[in-house]
Amino acid sequence: MASDPRSTANQRIVEDLVSRLRRRQLVGSRATALETLLVLRQVVSKARFSNIDQLVNVIRIVGRRLVEAQPKEHSVGNTVRKVLHHIREEYHTASERPTVQSSFSIAKFVLQGQPRKQTPIPRSETRVSLKENDPDDPDSFARVLKPVLMEAIQDVFDELETVYDNISKNAKDHIHSDEIILTLGMSRTVQSFLKSAAHYRNYTVIVAETAPSYGGREMAASLSSAGISTFLVPDSSIYALMSRVNKVILGAHAILANGGMFATSGSLLAATAARSYSTPVVVCAGQFKLTPLWNLYHEYGALDFGDPSAVLGFEEGDLVDKVDVVNPYYDYVRPELLDVFITNYGDHPPSSIYRLLKETYDDEDNEL
Amino acid sequence: MAPKSTVGNEKLLDDQAEVLQAVILADSFNKRFRPLTTRKPRCLLPICNAPLLDWTFESLALAGVQEIFVICRSHPEQIKAKIAESRWSKPGSGIKIVPILTAKETFSPGDAMRDIYTRGLVTGDFVLVMGDLVSNIRIDEVVKVHKERRKTNKDAIMTMVVKESGAIHRTRSKADSAVFVLDSETSECLHFESMMGYPPSTIASIPREILATHPDVEIRNDFIDCSIDICSVEVPSLFQDNFDYLDIRRDFVHGVLTSDLLMKNIYCYVAKEGYAARVQDTKSYESISKDILSRWTFPLVPDNNHPAGHLYEHIRGNKYIDKDGTVILARTSTVGNKCLIGSSTRVSDNAQIISSVVGRDCFIGAGAIIDNSYIFSGTRIGPGCVIERSIIGSNVDIKENTRIDRGSLVGDGVIIGPNAHLKAFGRLSKKRETKTTGDESDADEYADSEEEEVESAQDSITVDLGTASNAIVWPPNAPDEDEDSEDVENVKNQRFMRLGDSASDLAFSDPGSESSGEESESSDEDSDFDRHLDNLPTSSATSLSLDPNGSSTDAIAESEFRNEVRLSLERAFTEGHSVDNAAVELKTLRMASNVPLSRVRESVVSAIVEKIKIIDGGGVAQRQEIANVVSRWGPLINKIGGVDMVETITALQTHCASSERLPLFGQILAALYQDDIIEEDDIREWHQAATSQGLGLSPSVRTDNIKRCWEIGSHMIQQFNEQADDSDESEEEEGEGTEDEDEEGEEEGDNSVDEDDEEEDEEDEENE
Repeated sequence: MASDPRSTANQRIVEDLVSRLRRRQLVGSRATALETLLVLRQVVSKARFSNIDQLVNVIRIVGRRLVEAQPKEHSVGNTVRKVLHHIREEYHTASERPTVQSSFSIAKFVLQGQPRKQTPIPRSETRVSLKENDPDDPDSFARVLKPVLMEAIQDVFDELETVYDNISKNAKDHIHSDEIILTLGMSRTVQSFLKSAAHYRNYTVIVAETAPSYGGREMAASLSSAGISTFLVPDSSIYALMSRVNKVILGAHAILANGGMFATSGSLLAATAARSYSTPVVVCAGQFKLTPLWNLYHEYGALDFGDPSAVLGFEEGDLVDKVDVVNPYYDYVRPELLDVFITNYGDHPPSSIYRLLKETYDDEDNEL
Repeated sequence: MAPKSTVGNEKLLDDQAEVLQAVILADSFNKRFRPLTTRKPRCLLPICNAPLLDWTFESLALAGVQEIFVICRSHPEQIKAKIAESRWSKPGSGIKIVPILTAKETFSPGDAMRDIYTRGLVTGDFVLVMGDLVSNIRIDEVVKVHKERRKTNKDAIMTMVVKESGAIHRTRSKADSAVFVLDSETSECLHFESMMGYPPSTIASIPREILATHPDVEIRNDFIDCSIDICSVEVPSLFQDNFDYLDIRRDFVHGVLTSDLLMKNIYCYVAKEGYAARVQDTKSYESISKDILSRWTFPLVPDNNHPAGHLYEHIRGNKYIDKDGTVILARTSTVGNKCLIGSSTRVSDNAQIISSVVGRDCFIGAGAIIDNSYIFSGTRIGPGCVIERSIIGSNVDIKENTRIDRGSLVGDGVIIGPNAHLKAFGRLSKKRETKTTGDESDADEYADSEEEEVESAQDSITVDLGTASNAIVWPPNAPDEDEDSEDVENVKNQRFMRLGDSASDLAFSDPGSESSGEESESSDEDSDFDRHLDNLPTSSATSLSLDPNGSSTDAIAESEFRNEVRLSLERAFTEGHSVDNAAVELKTLRMASNVPLSRVRESVVSAIVEKIKIIDGGGVAQRQEIANVVSRWGPLINKIGGVDMVETITALQTHCASSERLPLFGQILAALYQDDIIEEDDIREWHQAATSQGLGLSPSVRTDNIKRCWEIGSHMIQQFNEQADDSDESEEEEGEGTEDEDEEGEEEGDNSVDEDDEEEDEEDEENE
C-alpha cells in the first residue's frame, strides 16, 4: 500500500497535520477535531480496500500517527474513534444485519425520557454478503460502501459544526433570572451557552481572569459586548466571591472516562471553592471531548505543561537558573467536584459518563 | 555530489515562486568542544538526545523555510548521511535540504559567506543561522518585518535577531557578548561592540555622531545574540568585497556600521516572545540543555516536538522518560528533577541521576551517581562511578568506581577504569587505531594535526586511567596558544565558555596569578559556581565613556595623519578640487588611519586658517581675503562626515591661540557665521563651555590667547543680543567697570565684556 501513489498523497496531508500538531500551530480541541476529520475524509475517499478490516486498518494507522504526534489533544483520537464507530455502524446497516445496535442508549434515554427494551448488543465481526473480498472485482466493496461512508463522516462533521448551538439549546433551563454565574477562561462553548441564555434571562456573570493565559479577559469583553452584565475579577478572589455565586459554569478540554475532566488551569480552584459552598458546578462540553482515558500521572496539573515564560520572564536571568517554573495548561478536576455535564447529547452526571463513552465509541478502539 | 547542476535547477524554481531560503553554517570554526568533535562535526552532537542540526532544522521549519542550504566543512559525509536519513528528506516534510560542501580552506564564517557568494546560492532575502541553533522564535515574522523595511529603505541589508535576557543569565555567554546601541524608535543598530569575558572590558566607546543624529538611543548589554540574521542578497557580496571580514559580528556588522562609504543599515529585532540560543561552547551546551528540560523552548520540548522524533513521557518535576517502555529503572534508583532518559537504557539499583541527560541504550551501574552530566547514547557506566558536570561521548565504557570530576569531556569510544580518577576539566579521547588500509587513512583525513600532537605528547602526561584504558589525555590548555592574544579564543576567555568553570578567579586576578588559581580551583568542589560571576564588571551603560578622545590613538599615527591631511588639503587648494572631492579624500584618510572625527575637523580648520594670507594693514583687503577663503573652503568643515559646529569653533580657537593669525580670529568667526557654517546658537554654546574660556589651563601665552579669543566671542554674543534688543546698551557700559577682573580669569556664565582696541576694530567690522 505504501507504494500506491494515492497513499503517498494521503501521507503528505497526514504528515502536514502531524507537523502542525507537533509544532502547536494547531491548538484547541474543536479545531483539531475538525482538521482530523478533514484528513480522515481525504484518507477514506482515496483508500483502496476490499473488506471492512482493511478500511479500519487504514484509518487506525493514520489515527495512531496523529495521536502519537500530539497525545495531548485528545479530540484527535476521539474523532478517529468516532469515525471508526460510524463506519462500522454503516457497514452493519449496509450488510443488512438487523440493527440492534442502539436499542438502549443512555443519550436517548435522557433526551426522550423513556426507556426502551434492553437487548444485548452482539459485536461479532461476521463477514456477510455485500460482495466482500470479491476476487473478480476487488473494488466493488469500496464502490458500494464509499458513498455511505462519506455520508457518515459528513454526519460527524455536521455534528461538530453545530455543537455550540446544540449545547446552548437548553441554556435557559439551566440559568435563571437574577442568578450570579461564575466562569473562567475562554471557552467558546461556555460563551455561546451564556449568550444564548441571555436571550431569555437577565443574569450576572463573574469572570475570573485566569492567569497566566488571561483568557478570562477576552471572555469578559465578549460577554459584556453581548449585553450581559459582567464582572472581571482576579483569580485570587474566586473563593471570596463564591458565597454569592449561584452556579459555576466551566468549559472542558477533555472529559475522562471516570467523569473527571481536564480543564483550563484554575478550574480546580474554582471547583474546590464551589464544593465548599455547595455551589453546583456545571460543565459545558461537546461530545467530541469524551475521552476513553483515565488520569494517570499528574495529580493536580494535567499532562500538558507550557512555556514558563508566561509565569516568569526569561529576562530574569538570575532566577531562571535557580527556580523551576511549571506552567500547566490544564487542571485535572476530579468527578466528585462536578455536578453535571451539558453536552450536545443531553445532560449527564459524571457517574454516567462511562456509559456515554461505551455508546459513542467501540471498545476495540480505546487503544488505537 | 553535483552541486552545480542542482543549484541551477533551484534558481529556475526560485524565479517562479518566492521561496524562503535559509543558509546554515554547519561548521563552528573553532575547537571548543574538542575532543568530542574530533570524529564528528559539532552540529551532530546530541543535545537532549537529538543532533543539534535537527534542532536547527526544526527551528527553521517552524518559520516556514522551504529551502535550506547546509554549508559543511568538517566531516561532510557524516552530515550528508544524517540529512539523508533524517525525517526531513522524507516526502511530505515540505522542506528541501541541500548540503553544500565547502573547501577545507574555509576557516571562518566570512570565508563561508564568500563561498555562498561565488556559488550564487541565494536569490533573495535569506535566513542565516548557525548549525547549533535552538529556537522557537517565529522567524517568518522577522522576515516579514525585514521585507517591509526593505521596501522603503534599500540600504537595510540585515536584521539581527536578539533576545532580551538580563545581564546575568545562564544562557548568555560571558565570553562573547556585545553592546548594542539601538535607535529606540526604529531599532536600527547604530553601533556594535563585542565584549569578552577576558580581558574584561569596562568601557564601550560610542561615536559622538550617533548621539548627535539620533535623539533617542538605547544602549543594551543584556541581549542574547541568537545569530539568526535575515540577510539580503547584498550581504554575501559585501563579504566578497571585504576579504578581511572573518566573523559576522565582530568584523562584518562592526565594519558596516562604522563605514562611511557603504552607507548600509543593519537593524535589530528584539524578540519579546520565544526562545533562541546557540550551543557555542560547553557552558552554553549545559544551559541550553537545562532550558530545554525546563521547557523554555516550548513547544520544542522532548515530550511534544522532539526534533529527532523520539517520544518521551513527561513526568512531574520535568522528568522525561522514553515512552516506548524499554527504559528499565530499578526500584531503588532515583531519578531527580530535570532528567531525560532515552530508550532501552537501564538504571541499576541505588543509582542516582540528578539533572542529567542520558542517551539511548545506556547502562548505569548500581550505586553510580550522575550529577548534571550529559551522556550520549550507548555508554556504559559501571557500578559505583561518580560523574559530575561532564559530557560523556557515545559508546564510552567507564568501568567501576571511576570518578570523573566536573568540566570533563570524554570523547566517543573511550574506555576508562576501573578505579580511575579523572581530575576536573580533563579531556580524553580514544587512541586512534593504527592505519592498516588505505580507506582508513581517508577517514582520518579530518582528524587534524592537533590530535596527532596530543598523541605524541602522551609520554609526558602521567595520569592513571586504569588498566584497560584506551584513552589519550589532552593537555589542559593548548600549549602554543598565545596567552595574551586579543582574540575571543584566547585561553582565559575560553574558560568562560567551559562547562563547570566559574572562572571566578579571573574576575579580579592579574594574568600572572592564573596558574595558581587554576590549581586551587580544581580542588574546591562546585560549591559556589557562577555566583562569583555577579562580581564581574558587566559593562553597563553607566560605565560607558562617551568621549571619543578617550580612545587612545597612537601619537605617531596621529601626527602622520595630520601630515597627510595637510598634504591632501594643500593639493586640493592648489589644484582647485571641488569641496565634495576633498571631503571624500578626507573620509578615506580618516578610515585608513582610524582617527576620531574631531581630529579631522581640527586639521581641516587649521588648514583653512593657515590658507588665509595675512595682509599687512588689515582692513578691507584682509576681510576680503578671509571671505574668499571661507566661502570657497568653509563648507568642507561640515562635510567631513559629521556636523559639530561647537567643535569647529573650539578648533578654530585653539588653532588661532597658537598661530600668528590670532588677530584674525574674530573676522574668521564672523565669516564662518556669514556663510552659515556655524550658527548663533553654537557660538553661544561654545561661549558657555569651560574649556573655551581657558579655565583650568596652566597660565601661558597660549592660555592668554585662548582667553582673548573667548573675549572676542563675548563681543559677538553681545552683538547678537543687541540685534535682538537694540535698547540693551547699558550692559556694555557696565562691562567697562569689570575689565580688570576679566583679565584674571572668568567665572562661568559671566557675560561681562572686555574692550581692547583690537576688538573695537572687529566690532566695527562685524557690525557691517
